[in-house]
Amino acid sequence: MTTVNTVFIESIDPRFDAAACMNCGVCTALCPLEIIPLPRMLFREVMLGLEDKIIENEDTIYSCLLCKMCEANCPAGVPIAENIRLLRNYINSALYGLGR
Amino acid sequence: MTDRRIGAFICGCGGNISDYVDIEKVRDEVEKEPGVVVARTAMFTCSDATQREIIDIIREQELDGIVVASCSPKLHLNTFRAMARRAGLNQYVYNQVNIREQCSWTHTHDMEHATDKAIRLIRAGIARTLMGHPLEMIRVKTIPRVLIIGAGISGLQAARLLSTMGIEVHLVESAPEVGGQVASWGPLFPSGRSGKELVQTLTSMIEKDDRIHIHTSSQVVEKTGNVGEFDISIQSSDGKRTSIKAGAIIVATGFQRYKPPQGEFGYGLPGVLTLDEFRDVLDNSDSGSIRYNGRDIKNISYIYCVGSRQGSNDEGSHSYCSRYCCTAAVHTALLAGEKQNPLHQYHLFRDMRTYGKQELLYEEALQKGSLFLKFPDEEPPSVKASNGHLEVALKDQLTGGEEINIGSDLVVLVTGMEARPNRELIDVLKLPVGKDGFFNEIHCKLRPVETVMDGILIAGSAQGPKNVHESTISSMAAVAKSAGLLMKGYVDLEPFVAVVDPDLCEWCDDCSNACPYDAIGKIEKGGKAIAQVTTAICKGCGTCVPACEKLAINVEGYTHKQITNMIDALAKEVV
Repeated sequence: MTTVNTVFIESIDPRFDAAACMNCGVCTALCPLEIIPLPRMLFREVMLGLEDKIIENEDTIYSCLLCKMCEANCPAGVPIAENIRLLRNYINSALYGLGR
Repeated sequence: MTDRRIGAFICGCGGNISDYVDIEKVRDEVEKEPGVVVARTAMFTCSDATQREIIDIIREQELDGIVVASCSPKLHLNTFRAMARRAGLNQYVYNQVNIREQCSWTHTHDMEHATDKAIRLIRAGIARTLMGHPLEMIRVKTIPRVLIIGAGISGLQAARLLSTMGIEVHLVESAPEVGGQVASWGPLFPSGRSGKELVQTLTSMIEKDDRIHIHTSSQVVEKTGNVGEFDISIQSSDGKRTSIKAGAIIVATGFQRYKPPQGEFGYGLPGVLTLDEFRDVLDNSDSGSIRYNGRDIKNISYIYCVGSRQGSNDEGSHSYCSRYCCTAAVHTALLAGEKQNPLHQYHLFRDMRTYGKQELLYEEALQKGSLFLKFPDEEPPSVKASNGHLEVALKDQLTGGEEINIGSDLVVLVTGMEARPNRELIDVLKLPVGKDGFFNEIHCKLRPVETVMDGILIAGSAQGPKNVHESTISSMAAVAKSAGLLMKGYVDLEPFVAVVDPDLCEWCDDCSNACPYDAIGKIEKGGKAIAQVTTAICKGCGTCVPACEKLAINVEGYTHKQITNMIDALAKEVV
């Protein structure tokens, strides 16, 4: 059981934008590295403020090639690669104190 | 032997029948039946050319009865009745035998037995025609006046439109004011106009209209008569009775809101509201902040399908979808977002049904940050209070079954519609009601506003859950149907009604008690009491027939003589 953390939601860079996601799963299907749970479920966890889940998925977040296969094909126009970069930014500062 | 001259026409239906039934053999067999003077086959009996040929045969052979063995009468009964009329015959000496849906299509694997069955079915049709006689349609005069029960948005719209067609309207409303539930609603999708404004527009039109008579605080207490000429008594709250004659009745009594019992999804805890209660909170909050019980609201959870789509199909349970609630909740979330930003809104749903144009609202809500979480049907979310806050727990299927806990300031239960308790009205009108408590239409797609009672129509959410748009569309359908019925000045009804044999009848009231439509009464005739059928009310259901020990009641077209003759023909060579 994880709890929705609204403080975490508000601490994420406002440029993070996955609101239009309708959970269709095109991104998951197209990923050349078959990364799970990128990006559909991961973004949902961000929007729900499940901070533990984001930390838990640090490796997956860094495995992404930023190839934009998913972004180019997203029917809802979610800026997926940009969102991943913003999550890396968050992990860098929150976990490793970088870039403050 | 008989002196009747019957023609039997067997259709191949372009292979639909002739591929599985040997229609030539069928013809050879039925040709031998008593009364049959001509039997023919055709590839398409319904084609113009074949119909013309049959008409020629009817005239040359001076036929006094015809049987067409083809498809279901649902498809071509009227086609061949019209053909009989063109040939100068009474249309009721024609009988259709279904050897497609009820024979060839069901026995595609066995031609021999399908052929045998077709022969028997046609023999029965011939036997029925032999014992039949010409009938006339029952013509009923109609009064160009409509009684509308319920002055909500559907009733008001129906009244306005009937008046524009020149039909007088009596609008009966049980509440002291017209307008119904919509009158208290805020902005509605897609126009953005408030329910109050919509109702005001309609009311101002109706109040100016001389053809529309409004009776508020009134109930319908009695109804007699039949389609075209109903006699209705209405009673106002001060006990005054008024009688109204009307040609048709439109029932637009609407719905009532589902009220969750204490404890359903935490209902009763402070901060757990129904959608309607939340709309009131919103309407009473100033722009810039949403406040409830003196607290600022930052997190709202909506739980969908409360009081809708419950599993069991028992009497009184709500197994149906209430249709309007998904859109209403999403729309409410958008209005709440406009009142206050930031606002975290979580929608806990089973299935989103923002159909048609309403999809735009869903998309807008997504993009404005509403989060939609899907819970499994069998594991609904739970709501509990802790430290002055509400905790909503659910299993989110879209993150692969993650168990999530949402701290909420408000929990909004998205409640559905239920049927109004209309027991008295149902008794007065004798209208059938479905398991869900709403009034029953004849067919949900083909005849959605008509009821089994001729001249009584249903409109709006009295028939089932609908949004405002759908309700007014259904009331327009009821307007079209009632105007179509009344503007001609008369209606013709099928003559398949019960008739009493005055010699055999010895009034015992068994038939009258059996009749579900109150069509049978008592009269004095030839010095004795006998039963009398009001033909305009009788539906020809035949319930009275077996109730009569003296066999004094027959239904035209299905008389005892016809039925026994049909059974003998079906069982020929067997018994």
